[in-house]
Amino acid sequence: MKQTTKAGPRWLATALIAVALLLMGQGLLAGVPDETCADCHDEVAEGFAETMHAKFLADRADLEGHLCESCHGDGTAHVNDEDPALIINPAKADQFGSSQLCMTCHTDDQFDGWMFSEHAGADVNCASCHTVHTSDATPAAAQCNETCYSCHSDVRAAGYMPSHHPIAEGKMTCRDCHNPHGGSVTMAMGDSKRDLCLSCHAEIEGPHVYEHAPVTEDCGICHDAHGSVADKLLKQTEPALCLNCHAMHFHATVVSYDGDFEVPMAPERAGTSNPDSWKSGMLTKCTQCHTAIHGSDLSSQTTTTGGNALTR
Amino acid sequence: MRHTKIFVGVGLLLLLAATAWGSDTDGVTQETSFWIGGHLIDTSDYYKKVGEYRSFEEDVWPEFGLTYKSTTPNSRFFFKGHYFDRDEMFGMISTKVSDIFTGKFRYNSFQRQTGQDLLENIEAREWLPSVPKGGGKILTHDITDPDADYNYNRKEILSEFSALLSRENNLRLTVAHRAIIKEGTEQLISNSHCFSCHLESKSAKVEDRTHDFQAGLDTKAGNLDVGYKFGYRHYESTTPTPMAYYEDAKHPVKGTSGAEFGSRLNYDGSSMPIDAKPKIEKTSHKARIKGAAGKGQFASSFALSKATNKLTDLSAKSWAGVFNYAVPISPKTRLVAKASATSITADDPYIDVNTFREGKPSAVDFDYIRYSVLDRTTADFTAQIFHRLNPKTTLSFLAGYNRVAREDYPVAGDGTTSSTIIGQAKVRYRQGMKLTTSFKYRFEKTSDPFVSGKGLFEVPGDALEPVHYGYDAATGDSLWGYFYYMREDLWYQAITTEPTDYHEVNLSSTFRPSAKTTLNLKVKGVIDKNGDLDSLDVKHSKLNGNLSFTFMPDLKWVLSGGVSYRMEKSRGPVAVALFDG
Repeated sequence: MKQTTKAGPRWLATALIAVALLLMGQGLLAGVPDETCADCHDEVAEGFAETMHAKFLADRADLEGHLCESCHGDGTAHVNDEDPALIINPAKADQFGSSQLCMTCHTDDQFDGWMFSEHAGADVNCASCHTVHTSDATPAAAQCNETCYSCHSDVRAAGYMPSHHPIAEGKMTCRDCHNPHGGSVTMAMGDSKRDLCLSCHAEIEGPHVYEHAPVTEDCGICHDAHGSVADKLLKQTEPALCLNCHAMHFHATVVSYDGDFEVPMAPERAGTSNPDSWKSGMLTKCTQCHTAIHGSDLSSQTTTTGGNALTR
Repeated sequence: MRHTKIFVGVGLLLLLAATAWGSDTDGVTQETSFWIGGHLIDTSDYYKKVGEYRSFEEDVWPEFGLTYKSTTPNSRFFFKGHYFDRDEMFGMISTKVSDIFTGKFRYNSFQRQTGQDLLENIEAREWLPSVPKGGGKILTHDITDPDADYNYNRKEILSEFSALLSRENNLRLTVAHRAIIKEGTEQLISNSHCFSCHLESKSAKVEDRTHDFQAGLDTKAGNLDVGYKFGYRHYESTTPTPMAYYEDAKHPVKGTSGAEFGSRLNYDGSSMPIDAKPKIEKTSHKARIKGAAGKGQFASSFALSKATNKLTDLSAKSWAGVFNYAVPISPKTRLVAKASATSITADDPYIDVNTFREGKPSAVDFDYIRYSVLDRTTADFTAQIFHRLNPKTTLSFLAGYNRVAREDYPVAGDGTTSSTIIGQAKVRYRQGMKLTTSFKYRFEKTSDPFVSGKGLFEVPGDALEPVHYGYDAATGDSLWGYFYYMREDLWYQAITTEPTDYHEVNLSSTFRPSAKTTLNLKVKGVIDKNGDLDSLDVKHSKLNGNLSFTFMPDLKWVLSGGVSYRMEKSRGPVAVALFDG
């Protein structure tokens, strides 16, 4: 019996929205005035007066005195019965009902993908992130990340790894890379899997004469954009990461001399070696020599690699 | 060698004053807040890495901020500024006039410490039984600027405007520009392996500029929303290309055989440019359309783009199309279908390589056409059904297919075309605003994922035919042997970190005991492995857990806290080099 009671208003809500929007368009909205709403919801009403919604809709003659109903629909039945089920509550909207309510006014292209987005499919609605009844309805930069983290806690944890984008430091927000409304991201051109990263790291775009295949494939093969233990957002430390796709460098297993050594051709380069020094030299960090790991337009030194060793 | 101990502690010494005031007259509301304080940075006893994104000025610095907000019945103006120090500043102005005009300007700068690699591991000499004091190959390094603090300052300046040109058909113009400027110093390492394998580190200036410009028109055409956007990106480094000297090729001990070693190199005994930054220009055209189709709604876009590396005059052209459709199948069931395709084609330059051992027996010309690994066609399709089982429970099922065809992948066969089948099931339980719980399982099965073709292992047995590479000086007999490149030609094993099997489980629960309090619990686990590699046994796993709470005593205060746990584990092969010269 209780379920039936709950199910009914969901249908009713959809119908109410349609009617409300129709009436709004015709300038015929008439139910209960805002003052009546404020009698019970005084805390909400007080804050709402300072909101952009209240300010911007104030000069709409068709909504005069009925701003609450512009989103919540006709409140007559709700006022009469005092039943919360008899009024539209966008905060309870799901993908089957009224998640489109806000989109009737907010038509920017950033919302193009909302209906198809992961958020919509998870019944995340506008009120999940936006506090519509306060003057700061949009999460500010500092709050923005926390809003996302409240659900995406694994990303929060990654963001505090030793290597991370400067989100924890307040220099970036999740929105710099993600559009929670399902649409495009600022300055991304939307033409490839790499495009999002390249919109900031433009120097990697290429095309380069000498390519590194995973760089052209997907940045995520080597990097974890949300944070990692290894330096430079790498999924593993060097050389382990490189050795996932490449065999050890030749010379890597050479046994070294134990003691001071000289360099006959350049005496100033004398040094000290131990039995593992060659292993240490060749198996610590591949990018010490292969510096142009994202691609290069300059040939490397040996002919047998075709110049493709990405060393300069 | 220098051991630099710097950073990181940022202590807020004082908050000298903070004040806010506001007024509300005739529908015009103004709020202003201003605060001033200071901070001390102590750079002792901490390592640099911890402060990758912190400023390093060891001193007391003033710090201040200002916010100002003004709203009238049909306009809004907002300013926020924060001065941390000369390298870290933030400022934003946004304004909105009715639905006619919106504008935003944002400036953000921060410092990034990249650290210095002291190359201490590059110091070795090979032990040879015949030379007691070490007589073989040599590794050395030279740091020319050991005291350098490598860092850059990144400034981002964003301007966005939109204006309503015609209310009748909602014709709107949007224009945006973003500049990213990086200035500082970076560590450059050049390596020469002629008479000793020698790395040299030096400082170089960083002056990178990226400019993005976008302009678009959006309008309503009947029941459709349509739009067009033009994009232009320009990346350039304004510093001169650094040079490095590559030594004469010769034997590391005897100083002989220069001609022999030199004949295996593209260059030696000369200064050559290093770290040449490209000059990249990219243009894009994107059209979009959105509207109703039948009972459902669709959104589609098509983009064309071209990126050119002006340093080499190489270009890559691409197109990308997206079509999304959402439709209610019944009052309790909803379908979301998404399809997209992309294609990239890049120029294929001819690479002229010096002839290996030119004029000698077994000379080889390694010239080749570099077919770009960018070249590809991709296709994605997913269909997801959401079904409300009852007022509290929603089920969803997703099926998807992804295909990547790499046209000019250098190695035929494995990894040339990857296909992925995706499946996902999710159940979500919602008891009003009190409790929301969901459980998701997702799998992806990929055939022929991206690999490094012929990455390791030689084919069993001695499949090489020795080549005639010279004559014995004393006897005049022919000398026969192998070169490194010949051994690499024997490699056969494809290797990758990319999985063939991916499994993800996700449990999420949100409990609201009151309207002011929220508790969150989340557990996510991921396992992926590659079953195509048999004994190589590539496997990755991730586990994340989170428990958090939020308490909102009123609309202006939020108190939140929580604890997160994240574990990652990777297992992959390491193949020892089978030859060392």
